Amino acid sequence: MSTKERLLRAVQARVSAAEAPWLDQAMHDASHGSQNQLLVVYTGASQHLGRAPLALSDGGPDVVDHWTVEDGGRLLFLLVRHEASPSPAAFIDAASSCYQQGDAREQQSWLRAVAFLPDPARFLPLVVDACRTNILPLFESVACENPYPARHFPERNFNQMVLKALFTGVALARILGLPERANPELARMASDYADERRAAGRSIPVDIALAMADRARTRTDT
Amino acid sequence: MKIIDPHVHMTSRTTDDYEAMASAGIVAVVEPAFWLGQPRTQAGSFVDYFNSLIGWERFRAAQFGIWHFCTIGLNPKEANNPRLATEVIEMLPRFLAKDGVVAVGEIGFDDQTDAEQDCFARQVELARTFNLPVLVHTPHRDKKQGTIRSLALVRLLGFPEERVLIDHNNEETLPIVLDSGCWAGHTIYPNTKMDEHRMAVLVQKYGSDRIIVNSAADWGISDPLKVPKTIAVMRAQGIAEETIARIVWDNPAAFFAQSGRFDVSALEKRPDMDRRQKFETNSVLRGEPAQAHR
Repeated sequence: MSTKERLLRAVQARVSAAEAPWLDQAMHDASHGSQNQLLVVYTGASQHLGRAPLALSDGGPDVVDHWTVEDGGRLLFLLVRHEASPSPAAFIDAASSCYQQGDAREQQSWLRAVAFLPDPARFLPLVVDACRTNILPLFESVACENPYPARHFPERNFNQMVLKALFTGVALARILGLPERANPELARMASDYADERRAAGRSIPVDIALAMADRARTRTDT
Repeated sequence: MKIIDPHVHMTSRTTDDYEAMASAGIVAVVEPAFWLGQPRTQAGSFVDYFNSLIGWERFRAAQFGIWHFCTIGLNPKEANNPRLATEVIEMLPRFLAKDGVVAVGEIGFDDQTDAEQDCFARQVELARTFNLPVLVHTPHRDKKQGTIRSLALVRLLGFPEERVLIDHNNEETLPIVLDSGCWAGHTIYPNTKMDEHRMAVLVQKYGSDRIIVNSAADWGISDPLKVPKTIAVMRAQGIAEETIARIVWDNPAAFFAQSGRFDVSALEKRPDMDRRQKFETNSVLRGEPAQAHR
C-alpha cells in the first residue's frame, strides 16, 4: 500500500462524521483547486481534522506514530497536489507556499512530512532555514523523530542542528540517524562546547557523548 | 557614573526600560540592526526597520533623556536567504550615509555558511567605503571557531583591526580577540553568554584595554540594566573606578567616535525631553498632559 493510501485510510478512520464531507471536498480542492484553495484547506486541517494522534499502527514508518491527524491530512493534500500538478515547478511552488505562508502549526506539519514528499531533496533550503528558528517546537519538528536531516542535510548543516539541540536542551536521542552521521568535525564542535561550558562554570548536557560518538569510535579503533 | 550601553535592541523594549536606564546613569545607547526573532520575507521589511532605527527609536529615546545611535547591516541569520540578502545589501549605502549611524553591524557568522561569509565580506567593504567601524556578532554555536574565522576574514580583507568590535565574547574567545587589534565586547545576559561575576573576573585578569560590556537586551530573556549591574559587581570586587569608567564610557565612546558621527562632548547634556514634541505627528504621550521630565 502506498503512503498516500495508508494515510488516507488512517485520516478517514479518525475524522468525525460531521467533518467527513469537509475532508472529501478538501481532497478535491487540494488536488484541482487554485493555489489559494490549497492554502485554505492546508490551514483548515487544524480546525476540521484536529490534533488527536494519527496512530498509524499498520507497520509503516515509525515516525508517523508521532503525528497528529492534521499532520496526516496535510501530507495527503500535498501528495494529491503533486499528482495533479502540471509541472515539477508548479508543485514546488505550491508546496513551498504551504510552508512559507503557514503559521507555526502548519509549518510543523509541513516539516514533519517533507521527507515523504516526492523528491524531498529539492526542499533542502527550506528545511535548513527552518533550523534557524527560535521557536523550539518548530526546531523540534525538523530535528526530532524526523528522517529528513540524516538523509539530506550536508554535514555542516547536520552538525549545526545537533549543536543547536545541545544548546536548547533537546535530547540528542531524538535525532534520527545521529550515530550514522557522527563525524570528527561534530565531535570537535561538541568538545569545544563542553570546554566553553566548563570555563563558564556551567553544567554539560549528559547526552553530549552522543555527538562525540565519532571520536569515541576512533579511540576504540586505535 | 555615566554609562554607554553600546549594544541594546530598544525597539523590543518599553518606556519603563528607558526610564530605568536613564535613572541608572545610561546616557547613550547604540542599537545594532539585527534579527527580529522571525525571518523577514521581503527586502521592504528592512527599509521600514532601518528607518525606524534612524527615526522613531531615536526620537523615543530622546523623550526619556537618552541619546540613541544605531548600526546598520544585514544580520548573519538572514544572510542565508540569497535573494533577500542581495537586495538588502544593495540598499545599505543610502542608510550608511545617515547621521546617527555609527557603524556597520551587526554582521558576522551564525551557522558559519559560505553565504554568511560572503555577506560579512561585502559589508566590511561597505564600511571601508563609508569610513565606518564594524560591529561583529559572534555565533552562539561553535563560538570559538566562529571568532577565529571572523578575525581571519577581517585580516584577509586588510580592514583596520582597531575599527572592529568583536562582540559576545566569553572566557574562551577573549584572549584570542585581545591578541588581535580588535575591541572585545561582552554581553551580560541573565542565563547565557556572560554574567556580571564572570565579567569582573575577566577584568581582573585582562584589565580594561579594548574591553567593552553591553546588555544586548532584546525580545528574549535579557535585562537592559545589565551594564549598571555589572558596574556594581565590579565595584564590589574592588575594581578601580577609573578602570570601570574606561569600560563603560571611554572605550565605547572611543570606538564609535571613529565613525566621525559620535561626538562625546555632545553627550555632556541630556537630550531635550519636551514630550510635546512630535515625530511624524506621533508623540510618546498617550493623551495625558505633557509634564516637564525630572
